[in-house]
Amino acid sequence: MFDKVLIANRGEIAVRIIRACRELGIETVAVFSDVDRESLHVRYANEAYYLGPAPSRDSYLRGDKIIDIALKSKAGAIHPGYGFLAERGDFAQQVEDAGIVFIGPRPSAITAMGDKAVARATVTAAGVPVVPGTEGEGNLSDEEIMQIAPKIGFPLLVKATAGGGGKGMREVSDIEELPPRLNAARSEAEAAFGDGNVYLEKLLTNARHIEFQILADSQGNVIHLAERECSLQRRHQKLLEESPSPFMNESLREEMGQVACKAASAVDYLNAGTIEFLVNEDGKYYFLEMNTRLQVEHPVTEIVTGLDIVKEQIRIARGRKLHATQEDIQLSGWAIECRINAEDPYNNFLPSTGKITQSILPTGPGVRVDTGVYPGFEISPYYDSLISKLICWGETRGEAILRMRRALEEYRILGVKTNIPFHQNIMDSHRFMAGQYDTRFVEERFSMDQTSGKQKEHAEIASIMATVVAHRESQRSSQIVRKSERDTSNWKWIGRWERINR
Amino acid sequence: MKYVTSTGDESFEIEINGENDLLVNGQRMLIDFRSVVGQSVYSLIVNGKSYEALVQPTEEGLEVLLHGQLFQVSIEDERQRRLRQSTGSTTVRRGEFHLKAPMPGLIVTVHVREGQEVKTGDRMIVLESMKMQNEISSPTDGTVRTLRIKPGDNVDQNQVLLTLG
Repeated sequence: MFDKVLIANRGEIAVRIIRACRELGIETVAVFSDVDRESLHVRYANEAYYLGPAPSRDSYLRGDKIIDIALKSKAGAIHPGYGFLAERGDFAQQVEDAGIVFIGPRPSAITAMGDKAVARATVTAAGVPVVPGTEGEGNLSDEEIMQIAPKIGFPLLVKATAGGGGKGMREVSDIEELPPRLNAARSEAEAAFGDGNVYLEKLLTNARHIEFQILADSQGNVIHLAERECSLQRRHQKLLEESPSPFMNESLREEMGQVACKAASAVDYLNAGTIEFLVNEDGKYYFLEMNTRLQVEHPVTEIVTGLDIVKEQIRIARGRKLHATQEDIQLSGWAIECRINAEDPYNNFLPSTGKITQSILPTGPGVRVDTGVYPGFEISPYYDSLISKLICWGETRGEAILRMRRALEEYRILGVKTNIPFHQNIMDSHRFMAGQYDTRFVEERFSMDQTSGKQKEHAEIASIMATVVAHRESQRSSQIVRKSERDTSNWKWIGRWERINR
Repeated sequence: MKYVTSTGDESFEIEINGENDLLVNGQRMLIDFRSVVGQSVYSLIVNGKSYEALVQPTEEGLEVLLHGQLFQVSIEDERQRRLRQSTGSTTVRRGEFHLKAPMPGLIVTVHVREGQEVKTGDRMIVLESMKMQNEISSPTDGTVRTLRIKPGDNVDQNQVLLTLG
């Protein structure tokens, strides 16, 4: 059994995993690239080792180096977090071959579910419904794709076979658009995953994205921790998640939960994983994909179930039995997570880089913040734009929303642009409050400049504040021009004063 | 000092008669206004009401982020106003527009060439940053005068990518 874990990741998730290890009395080993020497995960870990230059392929994707560091530091296990090497079956295999425990599923399950085409074929065989598409067709050439596309019907999605997080994904509304979008998807997939293969999938309209958290131990127990509602997306990037889903009822939850466990069992699954479904208005659901790793949005499930998923992962990796049965899992209250990204909601959500000059975190009842940044930290263009995850709990969905509204208002991040105003607008949106939203809501029916009753009053206040700032600024600059009365700097004055008093 | 401040469709005449004594559209207001936490976070107490906002300079004036709403604010003092009125030009039309990189990154695709006419919203450049491909579209109608980048170039934040005329 291991008592030291290497975390092959960075940012908030590395910090999250270190916290779980600490609570279990396990030593932690961090790895870092050139730009992460001062990152929080490096500062929190018991040991830290240099990996390489900033680009991921030279650092966090260097599986060979990471395994070397694990061996050298005598870490008995590696936790991959999410992204980077988390869903690479070959890496998991190399880790096991080196005699180190991989905290995650078996390499065969990662490979089976990681190739989206194989995954669809596998779960179809297990009787789980899938979204119509090119399942199990293997890797298709551009010509084959052009032929198959009209048979599936438009609109459709081009998705990276090795994909995740919306990368290498493009929407296509007719055959004309297909060639350029296909190219874009392939090049993005190639850059992000080192694999340019894609497949097609029918785009369901008015659908919700609902996923089930799975835990499976080595004794063959498979349980689900209910659902997460992840429909609030932009360009297929999740922005906000909640658990439970306002759409769900008890019988559908039970049915989908069982199907999710069945899909996991089909690949002899071990450890934590997530089955993603698309659900249409009538409650018909389709398997989308399985994420064979810890999810970004795992905290909402932790909060409503009371289970620490990362600690469960470590228990499972240590060969222990799950400490909860399906009957033990009861949902309590409601949790919402807002992903705080370094991007400008007023300018097409373009990523924003720079030094964080201020970061005041919201606190108080029912608030949790998972982050890897602090004042003085530089947001670089090398990694994703996630700054932090703000999670709020409420006894009811209404309370969770009001609490989130309050927490977003308390949150102050300066130095980079953030999408906090976007989340504030979502919390004020009537459709969101009513739980009436699907995966197209943000792109099609949401705007940042909604007019509210407070708009006019706030316009006046904003004008007053701006004017006084401008006025004081011009006053100050006119004073700077005037020569100061003292002809020498304050530092010199202090020096002289100290000499007198010596 | 007298200012005319506008944001969106709203316009206010604001006279500053000392540190905390204002006349807003002829109405007297006593304010307690100061910078808190960072240099650009300000707290305002007026008539017992407390507000906090982020006030930052932009190329055109100032932007104020208040309760999740962003206000683009432009401010003119009396002198500027008189100057503008005497020269006769109402709105200054700028001849050239320099498109700058909103963030550091790698140029993936350039959709336009020099001399090409573009309309507002036309796709011009794909810039890869933070593992995302970001499409940069034209903020205005015009003609591409000079193109300063090509695919494969690494660019810094605020580097001029092309000039529209």
